[in-house]
Amino acid sequence: MAVTRKTGKKSSNTLVRDLVNVGIFGALYLVLSGLGASIGFIPMFIVVSTCAVSLVTSVPLFLFFSKVERPLLCCELLCMLFGVVMVFSGHGISYGLLCVLYGVLAGLCLKLFHKNFVGCLLANVMISFVPSSMMIPLWSSTEEYLAYCSSVCDSAYIAHLAELSSSYWPLIGLFGFGAAGAVVGGFIARRVMKKHFERIGLAK
Amino acid sequence: MNISLKNISFSYSDSLDDAILKNLNLEIRSGECVVLAGESGCGKTTISKLINGLIPHYHSGTMDGDVLLGDKNTADMTLAEISRVVGSVFQNPRSQFFNIDTDCELAFGCENLGMDPEEIKRRMANVVQEFHLEHLLGRSIFNLSGGEKQKIACASVSATGPEIFVLDEPSANLDLKTIADLKEIVSRWKKAGKTVVIVEHRLYYLRDVADRICYVKDGQIAYEWTPAELEAKGAEYAASLGLRCMNLDQLGDEDMMCHSRLDRESPSSTESITFTNLTFCYHRKHPILDIDRLELPCGQITALVGHNGAGKSTLAQVLCGLQGNWHQKRAARKRGAYLIMQDVNHQLFTESVLDEVLLGMKQQDEKLALEILEGLNLKQYADNHPMALSGGQKQRVAIGSGISSGCDVVVFDEPTSGLDYRQMLAVSATLKKLAASGKTLLVITHDPEFILNSCQSVVRMEYGKVVEQYPLLGNQEKLIEAMLNV
Amino acid sequence: MIFTAPLVYSLLMVVVASILLLFEGKWKFVCTFFFVYLSAGFFFGQVKNLDIGTSGTIILASLFLMYRIMPACAVLYYVITTTKVNEFLACMSRMHISNKVTIPLIVMIRFFPTVFDESRAIGNAMRMRGIRLFSLRTLKNPVSFLEYRLVPLLVSITKIGDELSIAAVTRGLSTDTKRTCVAKIGFRWADAVVWAYCIAVVLFYVIPGLTGNLPSL
Repeated sequence: MAVTRKTGKKSSNTLVRDLVNVGIFGALYLVLSGLGASIGFIPMFIVVSTCAVSLVTSVPLFLFFSKVERPLLCCELLCMLFGVVMVFSGHGISYGLLCVLYGVLAGLCLKLFHKNFVGCLLANVMISFVPSSMMIPLWSSTEEYLAYCSSVCDSAYIAHLAELSSSYWPLIGLFGFGAAGAVVGGFIARRVMKKHFERIGLAK
Repeated sequence: MNISLKNISFSYSDSLDDAILKNLNLEIRSGECVVLAGESGCGKTTISKLINGLIPHYHSGTMDGDVLLGDKNTADMTLAEISRVVGSVFQNPRSQFFNIDTDCELAFGCENLGMDPEEIKRRMANVVQEFHLEHLLGRSIFNLSGGEKQKIACASVSATGPEIFVLDEPSANLDLKTIADLKEIVSRWKKAGKTVVIVEHRLYYLRDVADRICYVKDGQIAYEWTPAELEAKGAEYAASLGLRCMNLDQLGDEDMMCHSRLDRESPSSTESITFTNLTFCYHRKHPILDIDRLELPCGQITALVGHNGAGKSTLAQVLCGLQGNWHQKRAARKRGAYLIMQDVNHQLFTESVLDEVLLGMKQQDEKLALEILEGLNLKQYADNHPMALSGGQKQRVAIGSGISSGCDVVVFDEPTSGLDYRQMLAVSATLKKLAASGKTLLVITHDPEFILNSCQSVVRMEYGKVVEQYPLLGNQEKLIEAMLNV
Repeated sequence: MIFTAPLVYSLLMVVVASILLLFEGKWKFVCTFFFVYLSAGFFFGQVKNLDIGTSGTIILASLFLMYRIMPACAVLYYVITTTKVNEFLACMSRMHISNKVTIPLIVMIRFFPTVFDESRAIGNAMRMRGIRLFSLRTLKNPVSFLEYRLVPLLVSITKIGDELSIAAVTRGLSTDTKRTCVAKIGFRWADAVVWAYCIAVVLFYVIPGLTGNLPSL
């Protein structure tokens, strides 16, 4: 005798759905963060570029958080994929590992707060540290970086960079701006989600 | 392999109160080809999802009843096991393929099932020979046309050797010639003894292939006919159920045209708009468009036909200033042409239908916007989110925003693909109203029923050039022959 | 490490990338790439001693950042255009990397062109409506521009993503089953040659460079 039952329970089939979402939002995240970071080509705006990146990527990330069934795995994978692509284009392996760490932290935030607004906001902040960490080599191996640049650029740019790396404040500024962008972006994203995605039925 | 649906009730929500299928029973014998027809939203796609296992393993909802493939219950099998036995082909070619090039895509299904590489190569060679795909090997899928992508999808599914094939509106985005190729593929499967279940609106190409047509209504199988029986009942009966015609040759009859005969006999005016300088190419040696001048009658609906790849979409984009060199774009801006895209979701931006219409206006005039919405039967949805509406309503919202931006020429890119008969008539009525208000309409379409119902003249394109242009009255058979043989 | 590599080292890596690309028949790309790379190197060498002011420095700095990534981009181009998805998946599973990592990776690779196509279509639609980046309306309300750009893109992408995962799942893709591959995967003598070359370059240039004893050339 047939019994009324629920369908579509969490299983390896819905895992594929989550993995495809990771791939898709990963591609989107890469494209958008590349666009946002292009502001950083202007030396004046390097510190603010992380803010632009986290602002622009907040909306897709919030949609991503609401769609995935397994937040820990998906955030970890998203950041790992970003890290893998960055390692392949020249950053160190340590950067890749840092990305995985941020992903795990973001996933934990989502899980602990059961994907409510605070949880999503914290996860967004964690993920904003990913592009911020790309500039760490300027402080960790300053002489090599500056020596490399001096073979090409003139003294004014080097002085500017040296000024940036002389103290740790710009680095803190990088991370701080990124986090601030993530928080502001989070509020914008919540408004966009309420205004659009929840009414369309894409997000719960 | 037999398929058996016993007492199925299913709902996408948490309770069975708003069930889309209610106590449905369906038996399909091995080797049969069954067509599931019905109006949009009747539940035929849900039935196909029950057969290929997406319900109960993928979609969330509430279910009652059993689905048996052979003698095994789908609830007891995993999706991977079901996919060995059931092969699925879906409606949209662009979101079916997982790989970038055709060879990998053909092997994809077999690789997923863990087959031996030598075996996979053998099956690939078989399927390429059977489906005549030699010219498509080794190419990037992104460069293929919709019909070619759909053929690769069918071949890829066929290579895994399933017993049952489930197709969900496979002909929705295809031209008539590719639909004939699709019919070949389905008859080949039938000859090989496979069971084929097709969910379709366009019935004419399955006339010789289908064994049974099941009409789904209100979550039940309301009627069942053989194709011959349905054809014998006549076109009026089919139209009353919302079904598309069974026989394209019938379309040439004058009896079918009783609705639009009056419009056809008295064209509103003899003025026409002329477009010049419509040549466009991506690479210097290979012009996509090569048209010196094109004349479209004012206040009338002109159909633009031609096989896939003839350059129709490119012409639409150049006319509306979305592609082309600087002169062409400036000319387009001056003449005020608007394109209603095939995927209307690309054109909807705001959070309410009213805002959407106001967005295009240079001077924000809410009264005028509400008038436009009323003319399109959308006034009651003024505060709804555009993307939450149905497909036909979204199309009308896009038309509204086009009207509000003050265009004179409106170009439509396949407005009726995947629509049932009633929805197609609704689109037809909207377009006729638009033309009556003085706009010039150009419609790119593969839908002969729609053309015969709404258009007054025809432009046929081939390889980037305009080959023929004639008024439709008196030339219906010429049109249908051209569309079938092109 | 890459920060201290001198011009010769980068040139050597470019040579490797070019040879690999030539094997795949990409003559035009290699020629253009070589030409651009060498002329850019020459240009930077000449210009670094001139005084061109702040704006000049900005432009120069941006160009130089792109110049620095060029060899890595060439290798990336090689990898992306010549690696087939199924070979990649099989390679990953041979290295015992689970399907959970490889499936998102191939979806990402396959999805990039789609993102750009959808974005372009939405950009076209926006242009038709008169919403441009530098118009008065956008400057009055910049957040709305972002909204118009992102919301249809996200809706469209979500829809495609759902259809894609349904197609994948009905074709048997799952994390439980072990996939096979038509192509033969393995470490062969050509791979050994490339590995040896790269290791040699690292030994001769990078390590001495770190300690400050660059070989004179």
